[in-house]
Amino acid sequence: MRNVRIINGIPATKSRYGSHYGERVIEIGGEKYREWIPWRSKLSALILKGHEIEFRGDERVLYLGASTGTTLSHLADVIDEGVIYAVEYSAKPFIKLLELAKERENVIPLLYDASKPWLYSGIVEKVDFIYQDVAQRNQVGILKANADFFLKNDGSFLLMVKAKSIDSTAEPKEVFDAVVEKISRDFSILETGSLEPYHKDHIFILGVKI
Amino acid sequence: MPYKLWFGVFEDELKLAEKFEDSFVNAVNEKPIPFNVAELGIKVLGREYYRTLRRVAIGVAEKRIREELSSDERYIISLVKALESVEEIINVLKEKEEDLEANAIGEKFLEAIENMKELRDEIEREIDVVMAKIAPNLYEVAGAKLGAKLIEKFGGIKKLAFASSNKIQIIGAERSLYKAIARMKRGKDAKIPKHGIIFLHGFVRNLPKKKRGKMARFLASKISIAAKIDYFRGELDEGLFESVKRRFEELRREK
Repeated sequence: MRNVRIINGIPATKSRYGSHYGERVIEIGGEKYREWIPWRSKLSALILKGHEIEFRGDERVLYLGASTGTTLSHLADVIDEGVIYAVEYSAKPFIKLLELAKERENVIPLLYDASKPWLYSGIVEKVDFIYQDVAQRNQVGILKANADFFLKNDGSFLLMVKAKSIDSTAEPKEVFDAVVEKISRDFSILETGSLEPYHKDHIFILGVKI
Repeated sequence: MPYKLWFGVFEDELKLAEKFEDSFVNAVNEKPIPFNVAELGIKVLGREYYRTLRRVAIGVAEKRIREELSSDERYIISLVKALESVEEIINVLKEKEEDLEANAIGEKFLEAIENMKELRDEIEREIDVVMAKIAPNLYEVAGAKLGAKLIEKFGGIKKLAFASSNKIQIIGAERSLYKAIARMKRGKDAKIPKHGIIFLHGFVRNLPKKKRGKMARFLASKISIAAKIDYFRGELDEGLFESVKRRFEELRREK
């Protein structure tokens, strides 16, 4: 991935900024890299497991479930010439997210419920990419609604699915199969995979809007 | 149809807003906007488009955060109180229904009970949604209902976060605790309660009686940690629930 390199077995992103959440900053050849620990970020786990997502660096991105901005801060390093609309509906982690947004020019913080995209429909532009990591039960519905509002045709998405958030009693495999089936009705799926051992009972789904 | 954008309203032509903070909050549209908001915006605001958008977004969010933090907590406390009242009403109605079963009016009671149960389920669903939002760790470790009841009993997440875990373990069983303490002061044998409302948690309830105390103590300590993370950081810690589950499995297998 753009601006990413593996240092001592752990991904890191080239960054003009300092540490956001206590991660180490490593200097190599006069350039600063922020360590991206796979246990803390699903996207980092995905990279470390050898999956590849290409970015040009000037994309427009809608990030649903930004939380305190851990993963977001690294994605903002990758998309350093683009714009990321970061949606998070919980006020507590948003405080930390705001700190990041004040520092980074390419992050626009939005305190909204991702399941109600119409509330921010006049703010977010048409985007090339949706990154979704929300703990709400209706994850597929949230992706669909946001893609309808904002995702360009041929735009892609990356969905992080946590089995327990959807059904805490069912077998993870059954939950995943159901989610993949549901998504394939509206999107074309490029790749799926597990995030073990870094994130238990999680999978990712990479797809495209057709 | 007018399109409401964060910098104004577009209908045939753009009417630029006087205060972007106001138009930002009102940028609600039922259906997707058929053009690209940023393209139009850049035509109007030029190179300053993103900088202005970011400034307005940060300003609006800062104001809303302060309001939300306190109102969500008050809301959850009201919901818990409402839930307890509705549950009580259901019990009373059931009792009376049994007395009047043989009469025609008994039917009316059954109807009322059904209505109340629907209301109860509705309140529980709302508690679920709000708890997942304001206290994700309590939601995972304690469950929505127990977590909400604890917040209500302690009077807020902050107070719960600063409470000792043994207080969390026995809250709801104060009466038997003080009774036991009073007996001990008089030099008599006494049984100290092992759990209060924490008993509502499946992991405590579903263990044999002898092991419930251990589970309640462990769960209370993890709930205390969950409340602290929710209060200070607000982000979900994936490992917390795993440790509670592991302890439960351990105790279940133990002889």
